[in-house]
Amino acid sequence: MPQEYYVLIIGYVFGFYMAWNIGANDVANSMASAVGAKAITIRQAVFVAGILNIVGAAFIGSHVTNTIRKGIVSTEVLTDPHLALIGALSALLAAALWVSFATWKSLPVSTTHSIVGAMIGFGIMAGGFSVINWTKLAAVVMSWVISPVFSIVIAFLMFKLIVLTILSKKDSFAGALKLSPFFIGMAIFIVILSFLFKTPLGKKLSIGTPVAIVVAMVLALIFGFAGKCLLKRLIKNKKSNGAEEIFRRIQIGTSCYVALAQGANDVANAIGPLAVIYFLVKTGGVGATVPVPVFLLMFGGIGIACGIGMAGHRVMETIGTKITTLTNTRGFSVDFAAATTVLVASKMGLPVSTTHAAVGGVLGVGLARGLEAVNFGIIYKIMLYWVLTVPTAAVTSMVIFKILQFLL
Amino acid sequence: MVMRVPFFKMFMTSPFEGLQEHAKKVMECAWAFQQAMECYFANKCKTFEEFRQEVTRIESQADAIKRRIRGHIPKRTMMPISNFLVFRYLREQDQVLDAMEDSLDWISYRGESRIPQELEKDFALLVDAVIDPIEQLIELVVEARLYFKKFSEKQRVIVKNIIHTLRRQEHEADNYEDIIKKKVFNIGADAVTIFHLVRLAETIGSIADHAQNAGDMMRAMLAK
Repeated sequence: MPQEYYVLIIGYVFGFYMAWNIGANDVANSMASAVGAKAITIRQAVFVAGILNIVGAAFIGSHVTNTIRKGIVSTEVLTDPHLALIGALSALLAAALWVSFATWKSLPVSTTHSIVGAMIGFGIMAGGFSVINWTKLAAVVMSWVISPVFSIVIAFLMFKLIVLTILSKKDSFAGALKLSPFFIGMAIFIVILSFLFKTPLGKKLSIGTPVAIVVAMVLALIFGFAGKCLLKRLIKNKKSNGAEEIFRRIQIGTSCYVALAQGANDVANAIGPLAVIYFLVKTGGVGATVPVPVFLLMFGGIGIACGIGMAGHRVMETIGTKITTLTNTRGFSVDFAAATTVLVASKMGLPVSTTHAAVGGVLGVGLARGLEAVNFGIIYKIMLYWVLTVPTAAVTSMVIFKILQFLL
Repeated sequence: MVMRVPFFKMFMTSPFEGLQEHAKKVMECAWAFQQAMECYFANKCKTFEEFRQEVTRIESQADAIKRRIRGHIPKRTMMPISNFLVFRYLREQDQVLDAMEDSLDWISYRGESRIPQELEKDFALLVDAVIDPIEQLIELVVEARLYFKKFSEKQRVIVKNIIHTLRRQEHEADNYEDIIKKKVFNIGADAVTIFHLVRLAETIGSIADHAQNAGDMMRAMLAK
């Protein structure tokens, strides 16, 4: 067997390891608030998130991926196939190691930024500092500030709105039911726009912004009122926490969407570099984009699902008393803020991370006095890790590149 | 290696959980305290010491809860209210326990002493009067938590009413305390007995004072 095949096998291992890490570090993004708010059980969350990630990766995920994530490094570094092979391998391993480390430290980091950082490291080794797209890098840096701040503001306003219009009312159940078309509609609006603009399948439909907004609005209206009718049938016995019951249902929907979108978007972080290796081995060269076979996407999705499954066990231990205060209304506010932030920011061309947005959402609800206790101190640590992500992944990638260059 | 879920690191156990647990202990303690006092009033009671030990035991359990709450609110914890108020509230609620323990200890210091017959009824009334506000405390925490969930004006009024009740009950207890102190000087007891009884009435009375203070702290938490 030629040496290339060994490299390909190593690539598969690294790719799976990276996908596994994405699952383990990001599982919380989609399902955390839903599980915390007891909208679904952990078993259900792990199962549903796993399936949706695989589905999202295989069917909505991009079948053509940029060889360099987010165009952070000029593609001229890929002209030498041997260097490109080593580079893709080292970027994959470096990013995966960093995410592993962060997961071990219990700090949420952006897997996208990890792979971007690792690519920078490879780019510097292969072509020097001139190959780096500095504007793109500046956008990454900007997103550290913009996405959490934006998310804080939205979550804060959303929660205040729910308090003002529903929770503080005498009959909060009736209020929630009356206003449910509005809240469901808003969620649907964001979900549809995200689907159209953010996911690779949606982008393929290439619907223009005005048309997309109209489509989303119409669907939001339809689903909003249909949802209300459905809720009326589903929740017959009016309990004291009826308002929370209603948001519980809405939240299950938003969480599922986030899991699906996560599979669709993040699978490229693991599979992008793997696809590069795959094509270098098979054809001997790559361009700016490579087609990604469905089996690779599936492979990535399964990797993410495995990571989620492993992480799920830990949740069972922590979830008990720790986040009892994250009720459904609060969880919905967090989800809504995160989804909106990711949508708007990526529309602005910023490489935002769902992780950053979700953390911002929790802070926003906390600032609105919605949570009994949030550890604000940990936020500084989380932010430090956000900033460290790119340089650390870059340096690790450079070191691994040197080692692999020596070996191969 | 245990797996970790990074997102959850932000969340922590709510101190309100602890306050509620602590309030429950105060209730348990009040029950034992009442038993001990009734035993003390009755003739030939043998179980006073047992109940006193029970109160001491519950008090140390509650102390552990108190320490756990204090030790687990990091400096930068974000809560709907300032942690200063949580600590002050907890302190007052804890002093309710301490005052119960002190009363029983004070009785035990004077060995075989008994309450003069003329004052027995007044002391029984005072004990009942200080138990009432204690029963309100757990309700206070539960209802306040509900307020911080819903932020409704209706719920706020419910909590404020409990605080109001606490104040009224403290006032009643104060009256019984005054009656005892006035009577004590007219029963012709010796100086040591008078000192023992006055101090006992004051210590029992302070149970209600601290319960009221806890209510006042809760009122500060409700401030918009």
